[in-house]
Amino acid sequence: MARHSVIEDTPPPGVLIVGAGFIADHHGAALRATPRARLAGIVDVDAGRASAAATAAGGVAWSTDLGEALARPDVDAVIVCTPNMTHEPIALQVAAAGKHLLMEKPLTITVPSARAVVEAFDAAGTVVMAAHTHRFYDYGRAVDDAIAGGAIGRPVFARLAMLGGWIWPDWRAWVLDPAKSGGHALHNGVHLLDLVSWWLRDEPVSVYARGRKRTAEELRIHDYLEMHVEYAGGASAVCEMSRGHRPSTIDRRDVLVAGTDGVLQLPAEGWGSPLVTESGASLLPPQAANGFAVQLDAWLDAIADPAAERAMTPADAVRAVALGVATELSIERAEPVTLDEVMGGVLA
Amino acid sequence: MSDTLGVLLLGFAGLGPDQDHQQDMYLPAFSTHDGFEVVAVAGDDAAGRTTAERLAGKLGLPAPAADLATALADPAVDVVSVCVSPERRADAVIAALRAGKHVLADKPLALTAADAARVAAVAAETGLVCLPAHHQRFHPMIGAARGAVAAGKVGLPWNVQADFLVAGGTPSPAGELANFAVYPIDVVLALTGQRVRRVFARLSTHWSDGGADDHALLFLDHDNGLTSTISVGRTRELADTPPAGLALHRYRVSGSHGVLDIDASRPAVVLRRAEASSHTWHGAGTVDRLLDELRAAIAAGRPSAPSAADAVHIAEIVDAARTSAASGTPVELSQEGSR
Ligand SMILES: NC(=O)c1ccc[n+]([C@@H]2O[C@H](COP(=O)([O-])OP(=O)(O)OC[C@H]3O[C@@H](n4cnc5c(N)ncnc54)[C@H](O)[C@@H]3O)[C@@H](O)[C@H]2O)c1
Repeated sequence: MARHSVIEDTPPPGVLIVGAGFIADHHGAALRATPRARLAGIVDVDAGRASAAATAAGGVAWSTDLGEALARPDVDAVIVCTPNMTHEPIALQVAAAGKHLLMEKPLTITVPSARAVVEAFDAAGTVVMAAHTHRFYDYGRAVDDAIAGGAIGRPVFARLAMLGGWIWPDWRAWVLDPAKSGGHALHNGVHLLDLVSWWLRDEPVSVYARGRKRTAEELRIHDYLEMHVEYAGGASAVCEMSRGHRPSTIDRRDVLVAGTDGVLQLPAEGWGSPLVTESGASLLPPQAANGFAVQLDAWLDAIADPAAERAMTPADAVRAVALGVATELSIERAEPVTLDEVMGGVLA
Repeated sequence: MSDTLGVLLLGFAGLGPDQDHQQDMYLPAFSTHDGFEVVAVAGDDAAGRTTAERLAGKLGLPAPAADLATALADPAVDVVSVCVSPERRADAVIAALRAGKHVLADKPLALTAADAARVAAVAAETGLVCLPAHHQRFHPMIGAARGAVAAGKVGLPWNVQADFLVAGGTPSPAGELANFAVYPIDVVLALTGQRVRRVFARLSTHWSDGGADDHALLFLDHDNGLTSTISVGRTRELADTPPAGLALHRYRVSGSHGVLDIDASRPAVVLRRAEASSHTWHGAGTVDRLLDELRAAIAAGRPSAPSAADAVHIAEIVDAARTSAASGTPVELSQEGSR
């Protein structure tokens, strides 16, 4: 990562946050903590949310009009934190305005639109990155570092499970509307699908997935997802993403990667300190680097030097969308689905 | 029937040239079990007869019978422990049952579901005990878990995730789907009691140099809305796992009201020294407990659990897994199920 002096000739890039909801706070905090960028303003279709967030951020400018905000010369880049179905039009608007983009995952909710977005940024010569934040957490990096260091030889099988009540608190939210989120595979499944694909260093070729509506049969998305990915080089993965486990106090992250020369594990119980109090037992997570800050740095690195190797490429973002789409399709058909099919026979 | 049952050790073969569960597992367990006494040994081929002769001398037993029929006619024999070569195993088990003997059959009971079904039919007809040696379900962690699931501790089970990963030892020339998958499948069936209706599987060769599969992924759809996923295979040797020992053996049972994590590497006293760490525990092993079940089923005159019929279902699942892995599509099992 490039080191940047606090004192520079050019002022740090101004960053606009679009969508002032839950995840925007994490990006805002990361922006406040870095000298490498500056929060230039906040946009939300909801004026109350935009103004409240702007006030909380120390009185930055706010607007309900994205076009107007993008026209400002002190806005160089944009972090988009809006519901998934809005990602495509907002991304295309940002590309057209010639600004860089950190798009919350998923990049978009269909493969053609994901491609269109990447092409628009290619044409504009600006940076687009999807916020697959787990790549920037300590655990994700520790696993990747070990694999990169050759600790287990060539990785051939990965298991990754995330089970937790924290995955969404509000059962009425847009996340549970497949028209808005793209379904659970595109909403949260993509986190795991991207992470294991990154760890395995292999190209996915097909997905066999099983989805469940555990909490209530009225659900329109699958609150439990099991996603099996096969890779071109012979590796395979089993990923589970669950808001369907009970009790909802469960908070599980389980990692297993088997390689040709060894086995790597992040056991569920090795994750934090077991804490037993008068109100029950829980796990005290360790202190960790702020994944959003690390991710922000990676994005700013790409903006500073677009030719340098990227922590998360546009092709990775399209691939994650394709894996999510393949997952939803596989659940619907109860059959494996090839990446070729969802990519329309064209590689990203 | 006397209190102690006479045992004939028949055959010393397995899947692959150096697999001999008879001498490695069953003989030691029968020798220390109060309910059994090894009274005879026999082989059903040249290699088996040679081993039987040597073993008879060592154990101070009468010279092995010259042929299978004579061996099975011995009135001192109540139970036959069958480890003849897998291709002839089903027929040997059937012969033992027809001779009026109870059977402990090494796994796999047969190489195909059709052969296993022939055995199960004779077991049902004779009313004799025919116990397939799926001993992992008798692991103390798994035994306790079966009790907890049966007591409703996790509510309605809807998913099981299983890992059964052996490290080192000699890779099975028949592949680890044929060799090992029976164990975790049996455990999942024992934990949940739900038959499998649909199988999607993938077979890979990651670690062994031969062509046989050494990793199987099984995605099973069971009755009653249950799904399970089993990862089973054999990696290369790992420093802290004894050769052919289990590097990973665990099950997560998710239910409508809770989650149960079973780690069969426990209970264990963990020993850490200059060399790789190791584990130890005291008490009956899984094969000892398997023999407890054999003894109890014979005494009660009931089919054992697992039964030959259970082995048929597992063989159907393994057959379907092979078909699915070859075709790349899920395979439906017949609705009626075999008896
Ligand atoms: N990286 C992660 O770990 C992570 C975690 C949670 C959510 N997310 C992603 O972040 C995004 C936002 O999720 P959230 O949980 O913060 O949602 P949220 O509902 O809390 O917030 C969304 C905000 O966007 C605003 N909005 C809606 N449409 C808009 C539009 N067209 N223009 C401007 N503003 C608009 C809403 O008024 C709301 O304030 C989603 O894409 C989600 O997938 C990522």
